[in-house]
Order: sequence, then C-alpha cells, then structure tokens
Amino acid sequence: MAALLRPARWLLRAAAAPYLPLSLRLLAGGPGRPHAALCLRAARARPVAGGLLSQARLHSIAAEKKNYLQEEPTSSHRRNASQFDWALMRLDNSVRRTGRIPKTLLQKVFDNTCHSGSAGGNQALLLLRSCGSLLPELKLSERTEFAHKIWDELQKLGTVYDVSHYNALLKVYLQNDHKFSPTDFLAKMEKGNIQPNRVTYQRLIAAYCNMGDIEGASTILGFMKTKDLPVTEAVFSALVTGHARSGDMENAENILTVMKEAGIEPGPDTYLALLNAYAEKGDIDHVKQTLEKVEKSDLYLMDRDLLQIILSFSKAGYPQYVPEILEKITYERRYIPDTMNLILLLVTEKLEDTALQILLACPISRESSQNDFGSFFLRHCVTMNTPAEKLKDYCKKLKEAQLHTSPLQFTLQCALVAQKLDLAKVLMKALKEEGFPIRTHYFWPLLVGHQKEKNVQGIVEVLKGMHEIGVTPDQETYVNYVFPCFDSIKSVRAVLQENGCPHDDNVFSQAELRSKAVNGNLDYILSFLESNTLPFSFSSLRGSLILGFRRSMNINLWSKITELLYKDGRYCQEPPGPTEAVGYFLYNLIDSMSDSEVQAKEEHLRQYFHQLKEMNVKIPENIYRGIRNLLDSYHVPELIKDVNILVEREKTDSRKPSSSDLESKLEKLKAENQPIGDILKQLILMLCSEENMQKALELKAKYESDMVVGGYAALINLCCRHDNAEDALNLKREFDRLDSSAVLDTGKYVRLVKVLGKHGKLQDAINILKEMKEKDVLVKDATVLSFFHILNGAALRGETETVKQLHEAIVTLGLAKPSTTLSSPLVTLYLEKDDLPAALESTIDCYEKYKILPRIHDVLCKLIEKGETELIQKAMDFVSQEQGEMTMLYDLFFAFLQTGNYKEAKKIIEVETLEKLVEMTQKLFECDRDQLYYSLLKLYKVNDDWQKADAVWNKMQEENIIPREKTLRLLAEILRNNNQEVPFDVPELWYEEEKDCPTSLPSPVEVNLQQGLLNACHRRRNKDAFNIFLTAKKQNIVFDNETYARLINLLLMKDNSTQAMQVKDFAETHIKGFTLNDAANSLLIITQVRRDYLKDALTTLKTALDLDQIPSRLAVTRLIQACALKGDTESIHDIQKLVNGLEDSIGLSRMVFINNIALAQIKNNNIDVAIESIENMLTSENQTVDPQYFGLAYLFRKVIEGQLEPALEKISIMAERLANQFAVYKPVTDLFLQLVDSGKVDDARALLQRCGAIAEQMPILLVFCIRNSQRPGKAPVMKSLLELIPELIDKEEAYTCLMKSYVFDNDVTSAKALYESLTAKNVKLNDLFLKRYAVLLKNAGESVPFTEPPESFEFYAKQLKESKETHL
Amino acid sequence: MAASAARGAMALRTNIGRPVAFVRKIPWTAASGELREHFAQFGHVRKCTVPFDKETGFHKGMGWIHFSSEEELHNALQQENHIIDGVKLHVQPQKPKALQGDQTSDEEKDF
Repeated sequence: MAALLRPARWLLRAAAAPYLPLSLRLLAGGPGRPHAALCLRAARARPVAGGLLSQARLHSIAAEKKNYLQEEPTSSHRRNASQFDWALMRLDNSVRRTGRIPKTLLQKVFDNTCHSGSAGGNQALLLLRSCGSLLPELKLSERTEFAHKIWDELQKLGTVYDVSHYNALLKVYLQNDHKFSPTDFLAKMEKGNIQPNRVTYQRLIAAYCNMGDIEGASTILGFMKTKDLPVTEAVFSALVTGHARSGDMENAENILTVMKEAGIEPGPDTYLALLNAYAEKGDIDHVKQTLEKVEKSDLYLMDRDLLQIILSFSKAGYPQYVPEILEKITYERRYIPDTMNLILLLVTEKLEDTALQILLACPISRESSQNDFGSFFLRHCVTMNTPAEKLKDYCKKLKEAQLHTSPLQFTLQCALVAQKLDLAKVLMKALKEEGFPIRTHYFWPLLVGHQKEKNVQGIVEVLKGMHEIGVTPDQETYVNYVFPCFDSIKSVRAVLQENGCPHDDNVFSQAELRSKAVNGNLDYILSFLESNTLPFSFSSLRGSLILGFRRSMNINLWSKITELLYKDGRYCQEPPGPTEAVGYFLYNLIDSMSDSEVQAKEEHLRQYFHQLKEMNVKIPENIYRGIRNLLDSYHVPELIKDVNILVEREKTDSRKPSSSDLESKLEKLKAENQPIGDILKQLILMLCSEENMQKALELKAKYESDMVVGGYAALINLCCRHDNAEDALNLKREFDRLDSSAVLDTGKYVRLVKVLGKHGKLQDAINILKEMKEKDVLVKDATVLSFFHILNGAALRGETETVKQLHEAIVTLGLAKPSTTLSSPLVTLYLEKDDLPAALESTIDCYEKYKILPRIHDVLCKLIEKGETELIQKAMDFVSQEQGEMTMLYDLFFAFLQTGNYKEAKKIIEVETLEKLVEMTQKLFECDRDQLYYSLLKLYKVNDDWQKADAVWNKMQEENIIPREKTLRLLAEILRNNNQEVPFDVPELWYEEEKDCPTSLPSPVEVNLQQGLLNACHRRRNKDAFNIFLTAKKQNIVFDNETYARLINLLLMKDNSTQAMQVKDFAETHIKGFTLNDAANSLLIITQVRRDYLKDALTTLKTALDLDQIPSRLAVTRLIQACALKGDTESIHDIQKLVNGLEDSIGLSRMVFINNIALAQIKNNNIDVAIESIENMLTSENQTVDPQYFGLAYLFRKVIEGQLEPALEKISIMAERLANQFAVYKPVTDLFLQLVDSGKVDDARALLQRCGAIAEQMPILLVFCIRNSQRPGKAPVMKSLLELIPELIDKEEAYTCLMKSYVFDNDVTSAKALYESLTAKNVKLNDLFLKRYAVLLKNAGESVPFTEPPESFEFYAKQLKESKETHL
Repeated sequence: MAASAARGAMALRTNIGRPVAFVRKIPWTAASGELREHFAQFGHVRKCTVPFDKETGFHKGMGWIHFSSEEELHNALQQENHIIDGVKLHVQPQKPKALQGDQTSDEEKDF
C-alpha cells in the first residue's frame, strides 16, 4: 500500500507522474517499469550523511478516510491500526508526490498520534524515519530535534522500542549529520535492554566514519567480527568515508582493494563514497577520474548519486565544480523530485546560489511552457529568509531563462503568506518599477496576521507601508482588516493620526458606516445619514444598508432610513431618481435574502411595506414585477399584494376597462351586427386573467362562431390550470378545427399533456406530444424539466402506465433525451411502492436501453435498509460488469454511508484500496517489499528456519522497510516456535488473519489452471504439469512465484532441464524479481553438471549465492568433482572463493577441495605439485585439517579408477613417507583401503607389508567397514579386508558389519564361516547379529542352529545402541 | 427519496434566467475590480464578487460575474481566452438553472 513500507530508494525506480488528479491516480497504471539492473541495487544501504531522498509516485485514497475511522469507538488496537494506516497514508502520499514530507504534515501526524494516546511500534518507526532526509526544508539540527521530540513523547505514551527503532534513530542521525557518541548510544541501548544487531553496528561504524574516527569504527568492526557478523559493502563504503574524513585519501582508495581481497566487489555505493570524499576535498580531478572509472566498469551511477556529489562539493565550499557534474546528469523525469529536494536542501543550507544554478540547469520547464518551474525554490528561499536583493535577482534570472512567467508576483505571494513586510515591500517596489500595478488587496494578508494578534503597531506598520508604496486603503481594508483590531473606530482614527498614517476621510467614513451596518447598528446609520455632509452615492451605501437591515429587526428604523434616502436631497436625487433607487433597493434587499429568510421575516416585511406606503414611498411597476417574481419563487406570494401597494399608480394605465364594460360593449356590437371577434378575445383574456373559467366557457359557447385561435389558446390554458381535462381537450379539438396549422406555446402543450395524463387520457396526451414533434415546437430546458415533473407526479401517484407510456413517447419522439433525471420516475414508481426487485429491474432496464442508471444510489440504499442481500449482489454484479468494479465499489460505498452503515463503508474502502492499490503498485513496482518479505517469512515458517527469518528482520531494517503488523507477528511466531527471543514489541491481533493472497483476485480460470499445475506437481506428473504451463502461457496467464518454483523443481528432478529452463525464462520475464529458490538452483546445478554444462552450472551457483541462497552440498560437490575430472583447477578455486564462509552451512568439507584440486592437478599432469601441496598441508606447522580427518580416499579412488599409474605410484610413496617419517597414518590407511576396495588385494597386501602400522589404524578401518556394510555388493571387499587384517574379527563393530554385508549379498557361506569362527572363539554374539544371521539362514531354507531372537531388527538395533551408550 | 429528486428540480428553478459567469483560477494578484474591468468589454457587469478568505487575506481563486443579459454572458463565454495578469481564467456559465415558461404569449397574437 505504501511508499514508506518500501524502502524509499526502491520507490525511486518508478517514474514520476505527479500531477494526475486523484481519480486518475487511482486508476493509472503509469509508465514506471524499473530497469532490471537498477533493481538489484534496490537494496543498497546508504549511510551517507545528509543523503538525498528518495521519491516516488503516487496513488492514494481520499483523506476523508480518517473521518470514518474516528466514528468507530472500538478497541484501542483497532484504533491504533487505523491510526497507523492514516498516518502512513498521509506521509506516504507526500513522499510519493514530492519525495519529501513537509514539516507541518509530519507535525500534524505526530500531534494526532499523541492525541490518540498511544502509538504502536510501527507507527513510531514511521514517524522516526520521517525525520531524516525526507525533510529537506528543515535544518539538519531541527530534524534531529524533531526526532528526539518524537522519541521522548512516544516513550512517554508507552511505546516500546526495539532494535529497529534504535536503528532508525541511527539512520536519522546519519542523514542529519548529527554528532553523537556511539558508545553512549550503545550504552543507551544496553540500558533499554536492547541487543544491537548487524545493522546497528553497521550504522555505528558509519557514524564513526562520518566523524573521521577510524579507530572508533575499527573497534565496532572488531566487535562485529567476534560476533561473526558479515562485513558488507556498506561497511566498506563507510570506511572509505572514514579514512577520507580523517584526511587519509590514500587509505580511502585502498579500501577498494581490501574489499576485493575480501571477495566483495566495490559497488556504486563504495564509489559514491569515494567520489564524495574527493568532492569534500574539492579534488575535481580525482572525481572525474573516478567517474570515468565507474563509467568504464559495468557499474552505473544514478542521477541522485551525481546530485549527492554536487551536494558534497557545495557543502565543502567548491561550488565552482558543480557545473561539471551537472553536465553528467541525465535529468530523467523520475529524478526531478530528487533534484528539487537537493535544491531545497541547498537553500536550507544557505547555499541558494548553487541551488539556483541547479535549478537553471533543469531542462524540465522548457518543455512545458505553461507551468512555471522554480516556485518551490522561491518559496523556500522566502521561508529561509534569503536576502531580498538576492531574491529579486533570482526572479530576474528565472524570468530570463523562461522558467517562470511571474517570479516576482509569486515570490511576493510567498512573502505575503509568510507575512514578511520588508521583503514584500522590496518586491512590490520591484514590481512597480517593472510597471505592474500594486493593488490594495496585496496588503490584506499582511494585515490578517496582525489583526489576529490585535497587534496595533503591526497594523500601523503595514498601513505606513501602503502609503510608502502609494496605495490607499479602501473601505474593505478598513472594515475587514483594520477595524477588528481595535476596540472602537474612534480609537482607529486616533491611532492613525497619532502615527501619522494618512487616510482618506471619505473612505474612512464609508468604512465606518459599513462596519456599523455589518453589526446591525441602524441607529448609527440613521444618525450618520442625517448628519452626513460627504457626497455619498446611494449605490455605494446599498450593500452596507442591506447588510444592516438584515441584521436588525427594527422595522421603524428600516422605514426611517428608507424614507430619508427617498426624500433627502443628498442621496437619491440624481437620475434615475428616488423611485427607481428605492425600488431597486427593495428588490436587492429581498434578493439578498434566502427563501427561508423571507418566509421567516414575512410579517416584518409586510409591516415595512405598509410603513413605506404611509410614508408615500413609491416604486416603479417594472421593479414591482421583479419583486413579485422573487416572492413567487420564494413561495411567499402572500406578500405580493403588500408590495403591490407601493407601485407608482400614476404611470399605470388607469383607463383599462373592466370585464363587465367589455361584456356590455360586446353585446352592443353583437346587437348591431358588428364584428365582435376582437372584443370577444379581449374579454376572454380578461376573464382568464381573473380566473373566471365558468364565465369564459359560457361566453365561448355563446359566441363560438366568433372565436379566434388566441381566445382558444387562453381558454385551453385556463382549463388546464383548473384541472379541467375534458373541456381542455374539447377546446383543443375546436382549436384544431379552426386552424389545423396553428401552434400553441410550448408551455400550453406541456400543461395539456400534464392534465390529460393525470386524467388517464393517455392516448390524447401522447397525441399532443406527437403534435409537438410534428409542429416542431421549441423544447427548452424548462420544457424538459416540465416533462420530468409530469412523469414524476404520475410516478408519485403510482400511475405506472402513464409514466411508462409518456416516457416512452417523449424519448422515442426525440422530444427529450433519456437522461437520468427524465428516466428516474420509471424507478421512482417502484421505489414508492417499495417494490425493490421491480425498481432494480427498471434501473437495469434503463441501462440496457439508454446506458443510464437512474436512482441506482436510492435503490442501493433501500436494498441495504431492507437487507436484500441477493438483490444487492445482483445490483453489484450488474454495475461492476457494466461500469467496472471501481464504480460499483463507489456506489456501494456511498450507499452504505447514506444508510449509516459506516463499518461496511469502511470495509469497502479498505478492500478497494488494498486490492486496487496493491494491484496497481504491483504493476508499478512489481512488488511490495513488505509483502515480499512476508511471503518469504511464510516460507521460513514452513521450513521452521528461524535464522533466515531473523536475517529478514535485519534486512528489512537495512532497507528501511516498515513492516506491517502481520509481518511482525509472523516473524515473532517463527522466533518463538524456535525458543528465540523476540527482539520487538509484537502487535496484538485485532482482526482476522488475512488470507494468503489478499492482493489480487485471480480469475477462476487462473485459479483452476494453477491448482491443476500444483496437483500435477504433487503427483510428480511432470508432463501434465508442463502442459498446463504451456496452456497458461498461451493465454498469457501468469502464476505466482511458488507455482513456477514447484514446476521447475519437478522438471529438474525429472532431469528435464530444457523444459525447466523454459519455465524459468518465462517466469523471469513475467514476474519481477523471479528467482529460483535454493532447492531449484541446486537441482539445476546437478542437472547441468550431469549434462556437462559446467560453465552454466558455475553461473547458476554464482546466482544462487548472490541471492544469499545456500546451495545443497551435493550440488556443490558434484560441480567440484566434475571440474576436477576435467582438470579445471581454476574453476575449483573460483568455487572455493564463492562459497568461502558458507562451507559449514553447505556442509562442505575442506577435503572436497583438497581432493579435487589435487585430482585436477594430477589430471593436468601436475602430479608433483599436487603431492607437494598435500604433503605440505599435512606436515606444516599450522594445519588447517586435523590429519585424523585428512581423508584422501576420494583422490585415491579416482586415481586407481583412472589407472593413473605414475600418479598412484607417487601417491603411494607420499603416503608411506608420511607414515614412516611423520607418523601420519591416515593417508596410507586410506590408500590401503581403496586398494582393497578396488580389488587390488595384492597391492594392498604389499602396502600392508611395507607399512604394518596400517593394521593398527582400527578407527579408520572400522569406519570403512561400517560404510561398506551399508552398501550392497561389498561382501567380497569385506572378506578381502578380513583376510588381510584377521584381527579385525575381534571387533564387535567389524563382525557386525561383516555379517550385515553378507546378509546384504545373501552370502550364506561366508556368513556361516564367520559365525563358526566367532563361536569357536567363544565370542558372545549380540541379538542383532543373531537375528540377522537367523533371517539369512531361514531365507536360504536352512535351519537355524540357535533360537532366533523373537523381536524385530529395530528392537535389537535400538537395544544395542542403548547398551553402548550406557557403556560409555 | 422522491423528495430529493423534487428538491433538485426546485433548486434548478431558483436562479431563473440570471446571466452569471462563474470564474475560476483567478490569479491572486487580481480582485473583483480587475475582473469587473475585464468583463466590462462583454456587457454591463451588474455585480462582480470575488470572496476573500478573512483568515488568510487571499481570495480562493473563484468569482462570479453577473451580467445584465444572457447575450452579454454569451459574448463573454464566446471568447476563448480570458487572461488577467498573464493568467488564463476558467470561465463557465453558472450552472444553467431551469427557466420558467417564457411569458411571450400566443394569447396576444391574432391568428
């Protein structure tokens, strides 16, 4: 999940794509495919001081997660775990996005942790590790201070520290160049009863080395050696630094040679240490030489390594060499955050000139001309108080370089945010010089700070600054930012005068007025308006007045003020005059209120209007109409008549006739037989406006022949308003008969549809819709909305058919698009009836028809409410299938939230993040380091290998991985099972153990194939298994690591190395970092040896050892032997070096090398060399192998087998000489035995005669017997031996072995002879012997001359063994 | 649930026919005065608001321009680039609110 779970440098490998919006981030795969070669270096430990950080790319989930978490009052474990997730997420996001953590963020996470009252071990680790180079914007000392604060506070909270915390602290010290005493540190650990581990020592060495204290480093190194801890490249790199800092460059260089001698090739880290060392000395020549050397080697320095060198040069005071290194930087996109962090760090270190140099060298900005580059630099310069003049210069340079379009403005903004008045003034002056205007609001951020602290002096300073720049404070400046700082406006005026702050009285007074208005102080406003002498325009007061009115409910004052404005010559007299001005004011007053406010103040407003009426205040009719519309939309039409009384009647048409006038006029005309059409229409319209339907209809019936379309239109509308479908429809028909081409207003059609639909006249309604289409009636947004209301109304009434048919007609006619809104009534219909299956069906139906999912959220909510799990499943399946899993999860998430199921909602976000994010990171980074180690640990648990598990714990610290709790728990389990101490605080379990494979959900096909393959492996069916592999390969299905490993093992075991390699190649190209495990590599070596691919086998061995694997003894031995037979001495020496130090783990005897090297030499005809070296080994003072164990049997056998007569002769002479002159009898005895073993009994006898002491080498002889008795076909050898050395028969071990051998080979005759000779000697034979002999006789059909011991072989074997032990 | 749908429709209706442009990405250097000045070229700006955050003294980069007519708003929206202080603004119509039926009437027509 998280960047910080992985070592930061691992993340580095991913390309940066930092500006994706959140939603995209979740989905983005991203182009980061790390280079394989770089990945091997992923584990580079880097104890370089002040090291640059790492960075990565992003992905994340919404920060809101926190809120859900807080709503859960569950156990503290859960809270801690959630807390950790949250903290991790926040910090992780930052690191991914920018490669750094802002101090404020770390502080926030820390505060939050403290606030929660407890912190788990891994959370402490997370916080501590954030205090190093991830904080480039902080001074080194501040970072360490921060770390110490965290350390102490968390300790107080009861956090238990283990070695990983101490190691993390050490790392922080190193990154922060913190000077400390390593001995004190160790003492502190000891006091805390914490055992230091390899990583601790490594870092302490680095600490000494950073101080140039080689002696100190050596002490620790010695300590490591006594503890048998491996010395890694990291230690050597530190030593390079150490020597260099102690002034001894020669020895620093020498370290590389020492390393090579110790079998460790210097890697990039070592070279980087050397490069930094030279850089610190300002030795550009050596830096260049070393860089060339690295370039020529197959090593590779990354941009960030070069940046490190730049840092070293700069810090040491050699900025002049920076450009030379800059030239070498490739500026890969993914290193841009690193570069930015270096720039920040340099600014922090007051090396801002160098920082600018690097910034200007960055090629990124020119590509994207739109985005300004360098803002981060300018901002940090401002924070770090870079001198203003310098900043001005930087701005100029950035602009010249076309990196930034408005650097001055940006820097000014930063200065304002940081409230740096002096800097801001300099920058404003610079802007002004360049012809940019300086605006009043530039000063507001400066005032805000002082205002919060009520710092009058500060305010005065800013106001003076404004004056200095030539900016006059405006009303808003005073009201919002100056006045709040003072107790009264009077005191403001006084202070300003006192301090010589010039101010415009007019502006000031208006500000004062506004400020009073804001407080609802209408008394003041009234008296001000009465006494005011300044020339104010009414419009400039309007805003303030409205505010004041709304904050005061004193209607009398409202009216008095309005009257004053209306009547006083100072205010509203200019055109358009008081009527307009006050009318507009009333409109604005109501407009500024919300509908609920107007509703609440209805009575006040009514009172106000009536008072105005009494004061004879008038408003124009057009403004009245506006107010009427407002009141209508606010649903307070009751107020309309009260406003109406203010209308300026003089201007309205008072000569309008009444309806009765018109009617009598109509009758008169009719009587006179005059045309009445016009007057009839007029009358009908009037009746309509009077809502007199009855009368209008009567009139129409009476004068039907004189009706015109206009009259019908009005009548139709009237009937619709009165819900009179019958008449409306009839009128419409008459209207059509009158003029079939006549078109009604859109609104009237819609109203007709509504009424007809409502009264079940569906077909008529549909016909109206059709007519709309045919006559091409204008359909506006409002019309569509009306359609929705028609449908929705019908849905609420449960009129299924109406909804369906009208919707269908509207959509198919193309009157409106089937939008989610328009279609929602189709679902509402069922939701209202609580018919959830139908509702869901309807939603799905809409999707199938129109690709919309109306009301899916409501449907889900209801389903959740009712607990309809099956339907939820159905809905989810549908959504996820049609719109993808993400949409489905979001839908479900919000539905859970809506219904108050926070736990479930949270679960979804967890599943979602885990699955999606892990899947994504897998694609990006191919693996999650913690997860990787977790899997590894699982393997170790199966193997019960606590040592390796412990090594993993060390490695994780080295790589700076913060382990998850489950990883820690697993580790603890392995250690405990093996009675080992657990060196950390084990987090308690609070949730169900995760399943083995929580990260991705493979498809069923994959699962089946994989299962089939594993089954085939289990049944050792290599062909079946391989075929499944081929099938999967064809379908591009990739299995997990383990599956491939199993398959490869099986194939190798079946000696099918070609197929095994095919599988290996596929796995390697499809699974990042796929490697064969120990067993597979060993098998591979054996197979390769068998096929005589010795070079390949050697490579395999190297690979395995590089992976810290332990190859099997058999594999190594076979390889060595094969080399020996080829006479390849060199390869054997190589192998010896490779496995150096691992001999015991592999179980490899030194003799393997001695025998085989000698053999190889002999094969090369270097017999004398071989013999001389063996002799030397056996006779020299410091023998590496005890002569007792100096077994050369293998060599002898091979020489005898190979019939290498000259060699055999010389060897024989050597063996005899060793025996006779040095009393070393082992070689000669071995030679004797090998001669016997090879059937060269005569040679053996001759040797025995020359060297009688052989017969006295009982232990050697007995071992030979025992070994041979375990193999079949050795009876003749044993017989020969007994013949040569008859005294052997007196030894119980010997005769037991002899019998065993005879039994093995079914040699009844020899067995009988042995038994008889033994009984003749009265030897007391043990039961095992007798049992064996008896069984042999019985099987041969012979009688047993004694009572056969009744128990089993095992019984007697055990008995014999026990009796021997008691004897001892 | 049905209520929520109805409420949505209601909200649509409130801002009837108000030609308002919603402006985002206003540079910090510009305030309502600058916006008003810029948008005046497209018509009469009845009202122009750029709210400032009283906590920081900066505005939040958003503002509203109230024009007198749809046409003026349309003019403003027609222009592709709106640049103030070298920064390109994002201008869009305030979410089109539903309109009430236009009152031009067939009743007044003499067919």
